[in-house]
Amino acid sequence: MGIISLEKSDHLFWLGRYAERVFTTLDSFFRYFDRMLDMDDAEVAYQSFCKELSIPNSYKDQEDFIHKYLFSQNDPNSVYSNMLRAFDNAVVLRDELSSKTLSYIQLALDSIERAEDSQALVYDLQPVLDDLFAFWGCLDDNVEDEECRNIIKCGKYLERLDLYMRLGYPYRSIEKEYNKFLNRLHKIRIGYNLSEVDKLSEIINLGDDWRSRYQEALLALCNIF
Amino acid sequence: MYITNKVKALRFIPGVFFCIANASLHDAESSREEVYSMLSIYKRGCGRSMRELVEHMEGINRLMARYGVKFGIYKHNEFHEQLFPFDPLARVITAAEFAFLERGLTQRVKALNCFLADIYGEKKIVKDGVIPEDFIFSSKGYLPQCEGIKPPKNIFSHIAGIDLVQAKDREWYILEDNLRIPSGASYPMIARELTRQASPRTFTANHIVDNRNYAAMLKEVMDAVNTGGINVVLTPGRYNAAFFEHSYLAERSGAILAMPQDLFVEDNRLYYRQYHGRQLQVGTVYRRISDEYLDPLCFEPDSLIGVPGIMDVYRSGNVALVNAPGNGVADDKGVYYFVPHMVKYYLGEEAILKNAPTYLAFYEKDRNFILEHLERLVVKDVSEAGGYGVVFGSELTKEKLEDLKKVICREPRRFIAQEVIDFIDLDIVEGDTAVPRKADLRAFVLTGDTTRVWASGLTRFSRNPDSFVVNSSQGGGFKDTWVLSR
Repeated sequence: MGIISLEKSDHLFWLGRYAERVFTTLDSFFRYFDRMLDMDDAEVAYQSFCKELSIPNSYKDQEDFIHKYLFSQNDPNSVYSNMLRAFDNAVVLRDELSSKTLSYIQLALDSIERAEDSQALVYDLQPVLDDLFAFWGCLDDNVEDEECRNIIKCGKYLERLDLYMRLGYPYRSIEKEYNKFLNRLHKIRIGYNLSEVDKLSEIINLGDDWRSRYQEALLALCNIF
Repeated sequence: MYITNKVKALRFIPGVFFCIANASLHDAESSREEVYSMLSIYKRGCGRSMRELVEHMEGINRLMARYGVKFGIYKHNEFHEQLFPFDPLARVITAAEFAFLERGLTQRVKALNCFLADIYGEKKIVKDGVIPEDFIFSSKGYLPQCEGIKPPKNIFSHIAGIDLVQAKDREWYILEDNLRIPSGASYPMIARELTRQASPRTFTANHIVDNRNYAAMLKEVMDAVNTGGINVVLTPGRYNAAFFEHSYLAERSGAILAMPQDLFVEDNRLYYRQYHGRQLQVGTVYRRISDEYLDPLCFEPDSLIGVPGIMDVYRSGNVALVNAPGNGVADDKGVYYFVPHMVKYYLGEEAILKNAPTYLAFYEKDRNFILEHLERLVVKDVSEAGGYGVVFGSELTKEKLEDLKKVICREPRRFIAQEVIDFIDLDIVEGDTAVPRKADLRAFVLTGDTTRVWASGLTRFSRNPDSFVVNSSQGGGFKDTWVLSR
């Protein structure tokens, strides 16, 4: 068993959430970006992206959205801000994660910074996804302590579930991520709200009809911790 | 910013020649032929290998960035983190020369440990008139709260960082002792790790002692004084200038990196609080928090980064603190003057390593000398550290010299003056050539069951051609330090 303080457990959990937030939102952005290339659809595409993620549409236009959403340090919803938060949580965990694992978070952060002036965004941001994939692989390979991995993955799957629900992923994907989340949740020793987990289970078990209780599901997920 | 210029033509490295040549000065058994032979090996082997390292400089710096080899600095009350500039041309110390340094450094740290035990105990050295009491009790580093405390195994200085320079006469001089929380060992450690990856042939072609054992040495020290429980590295937090080092040493030594809020005192024991509520007893704290902030119940009451009650636990012998609080009295710049006297007093030996020629403004005779020769001396404020409070008389205007003289006369205990040692330059890579820069060496001496000198060290250099100040906080960079095994 690892030796993990309350503060470190918090950092582990949020590292998982932020790393996943960067990964999934960037991956989704690529799809919306592709839609934006067809000019007629551009405004609709970015506005619906904002709506699905509950991001206030404070952007002037599509160009403003693309730049600020990806790279603004002052926009708390931007990919870059989320990557910085992931880094802030990771950097205090070197002894848990190992320098090798931590280095992939640093690389992902550097990759975003390098891409800021890119004319080929998807192409130049792809390394961010690659670095995050490598981070997860390195975590599994290098971090011996299972408890540490469970906490960080609990954060990861909670975040993924939240985003998949918001972004309209197919039911099968949501169910799969929910099961992964539950698997990790039962293994960690952080207190959580069992009644909210039960409520979420009930909704997920509705199958494709889960969407009829979409808001309730998001709220339950939000209230688990 | 990455360094992108590859070196095309590199001049040879005079600093390395000096180090090798110096071996003959200290080791009578080292014959001239052996020295020439080493030099020849160097020219044929190390030189080529160094060039290979230089060619990989861009890659090495990229790896440094990847692994977050940074230090923090506060400017205008804002925290900035920056990469510690690394130069691939290592300082090379021969086996014979290292053996000499090892003897001198071990002797010095043993004497300093005896001094600390004495000062917080019987104070014989004061009673016997070897050191005036003014230098002890007026020192900011002397902590009356530590009176009578006997730390585990009576070790005060577990990790000493001793700063040395090599003068152009090839003599090594001690510039200062750092016995509180000396930092810097992690940088040559990780530099070696990365340079071995970047240029493996350099390390197969030369007999260089592996320096990556520092973490194991640190663990041995922590284990040796452990009173029962886990080892922790106590950091003030992410925004400390040396946070990279704290986290890296914790990782490598297997200790737990603890924030102040992770530790608490109960029943006169120190515990680490786990997230699920259980607690673990702590046996050794390698604390990277200054004395004055360590325990708000004992020192600075407003400290938010201390552990309330930790000093009581330490006083009761229920936890080891590495280094011992109160060590600042021994690395006071005024007390530095007396270290050779300590060696004689406690060990009955002559000091192997020399101090830089130093004058104490406290003594009238010395003060008069300082006032007469101020323009050629370097004056140090004993209460400052990190390269601050250092003034070169040669750089002052007539008016400023007069002002300084007045301050020295008003507060003589506050200042020491030293002859400016024209220490050797080491070459660093700048653009596509190599340029000479002033460099010092921080040697690390660890004391647990035995006192050992780490076969490496932090070589810091000034990036400013006109400066002797090598501190990272003042813009300096660092090199690896190679100790040859034969």
